[in-house]
Amino acid sequence: MTEVINEQVEKEKHIRGFGAMILSRTLDKKIITAQRQGRVGFYTPTMGQEAAQIGLSMALSKDDLLYEYYRDVPMMLHRGVPLEIILNQVFGNRDDLAKGRQMPSHLVARDYNFMSVPSPVATNLPLAVGTAFAKVYRHEPGIVVASFGDGSSSTPDFHSAMNMAAVFNLPVLFFCENNGLAISLPVEKQTKTEIWKKAEAYGMAGFKADGNNMVEMYKVAQQAVDHVRSGKGPALLEARCFRMGPHSTSDDPTKYESDIVQDGSDRDPIVVTQNALKAMGLINDQLVDKVKSESVRIVNEKFDQQEKIPAPDPETMFQDIYKNETWIIKEEKGEIL
Amino acid sequence: MNMVQAINSTLDMKMAADDSIILLGEDIGKDGGVFRVTDGLQSKYGQQRVIDTPLTELGIVGMAIGMAVYGLKPVPEIQFQDFIYTAMDQIINQMAKMRYRTAGKITVPLVLRTPYGGGIRGGLYHSQSGESYFVHTAGLTVVTPSNPYDAKGLLSASLDLGDPVIFLEPKKLYRFQKMDVPDEDYKVQIGKARKVREGDSITIITYGSMVPTVAAVVEKNKVDADVIDLITLSPLDIDAISASVKKTGRVMIVHEAPRTLGMGAEISAMISERMIEYLYAPILRVTGPDTPFPYRLEDTYLPNEKRIMDAVDKLLKFR
Repeated sequence: MTEVINEQVEKEKHIRGFGAMILSRTLDKKIITAQRQGRVGFYTPTMGQEAAQIGLSMALSKDDLLYEYYRDVPMMLHRGVPLEIILNQVFGNRDDLAKGRQMPSHLVARDYNFMSVPSPVATNLPLAVGTAFAKVYRHEPGIVVASFGDGSSSTPDFHSAMNMAAVFNLPVLFFCENNGLAISLPVEKQTKTEIWKKAEAYGMAGFKADGNNMVEMYKVAQQAVDHVRSGKGPALLEARCFRMGPHSTSDDPTKYESDIVQDGSDRDPIVVTQNALKAMGLINDQLVDKVKSESVRIVNEKFDQQEKIPAPDPETMFQDIYKNETWIIKEEKGEIL
Repeated sequence: MNMVQAINSTLDMKMAADDSIILLGEDIGKDGGVFRVTDGLQSKYGQQRVIDTPLTELGIVGMAIGMAVYGLKPVPEIQFQDFIYTAMDQIINQMAKMRYRTAGKITVPLVLRTPYGGGIRGGLYHSQSGESYFVHTAGLTVVTPSNPYDAKGLLSASLDLGDPVIFLEPKKLYRFQKMDVPDEDYKVQIGKARKVREGDSITIITYGSMVPTVAAVVEKNKVDADVIDLITLSPLDIDAISASVKKTGRVMIVHEAPRTLGMGAEISAMISERMIEYLYAPILRVTGPDTPFPYRLEDTYLPNEKRIMDAVDKLLKFR
């Protein structure tokens, strides 16, 4: 009986994961188009990284905390962050949880256990180590995930965080979304070794996964998560995936990359995952069409709705700098407003 | 007790009362820190609360931020302020901006302790006064005590502030003087300067290691000076500065840090903007020069009696 239930749970998990992939792709395309129309200022597309992120997210539990980076919208959608929250941030409008302060793609969703993201890459990794320490110190369940791109593997923050997490044996899962490009630099010029292999040098477990196939990704991610959760120390999980779009909407990838994976092509993780799920008998064309059309409808509806929300009050610029407003900020606010 | 003992006993007192306080840094546990500020605390509170970290300043600070955002109250130590620069990305882009970028949903209550300044023959890399780097960053509170009593009250206030505090310890004063320090918890209010002595002819604004130097020079030379110890470098106590400047009309600022864009620059700009009509003379700065900090010539570098008195004379004689 339990086996039957588990099987059913797993099936639903896969279908839900795939649904989040479609929703994420739909949102991505919508925002990119809107940016070209001048309706959105900037965006870092996540196309091509949906299977990697959602495959991992499927292996995580509610108690797990995430130090995300700026391309992690698919994971956020999968963990239940509402479209409204994401779109409010993209518009930087009055209802944005961070009052429109950061450029698009830098979300805050603390209520969903996302710890917020700055632009300087890999600076979130040492924080993940400290938070994992706090969790262990307080005997709280759950692991801490820190995600980053292949470029981050060159930073001192990566080195420090990997080293400290291993020395202190903390429950951190370092999640490298290797999309092969750090803006224009190919990963071969970023580092001489495979990223997952660096784990061994730090004294932690390393895992490599096919980040283009949600089903395969989930299997490997589950092993990595189980390892960290069991108290055996941190792990490094590298997912191989593609960046199907530019680094950001301000970037022209044709200048440096001749082999960009096209939307709907054989290497597109949505196509790869769709084929895998079909082979498993979990989805059919009818369901895919339904999920796609429903995603388009809901994204368009929410986009138009959130776009109408006005900009934040200018006064908000001067809030949340200190717990108590200083006389200097008060004075400067008086001069400017 | 001296300043080292005052800081040590304050950490001890606060840690006994609050198990969310965690110390972390290089050589702070078994060794008690290179200045012995944390001596004995690891044997008392264990390796989980007084953590000897690997040698990585950015790692220490980043890890401390990660603790602070999740309910702990870490006190990272950077062995010498001169070594902090690899952690500046963490300090400026994570620590200082967390409250702002999350609209107050995530905050960073921590106290980053670090010895700074000259006076121990530390040369280029064990003598720097980098306070301006921190004061220039919105979101940081920057304080520096000049005696054991203030060290205790200021550290206690910093631990209770709820925001990141850069706690700069003038290493020259670590064992410079002994004072009676109350056993009980008390606070030296952040954002408030202290009047070191009263006078009517001239205002001398200073802080950190220069406080006893200035006090001794004006005492010895019988200068009728109002001497202000800023204690908090950010946010500055403009009320204390204003009251004194309006009384004397003659101002000088004394600090060890290099002159260009040092605290003196900001303070003199503030005075010029708000009360230039009260001034009888130009605002003068007696500071470290815009050179790196030299080893053998430390005494030449640091502001001394002659330089302070030359500035006093110039201010008093100005017509």
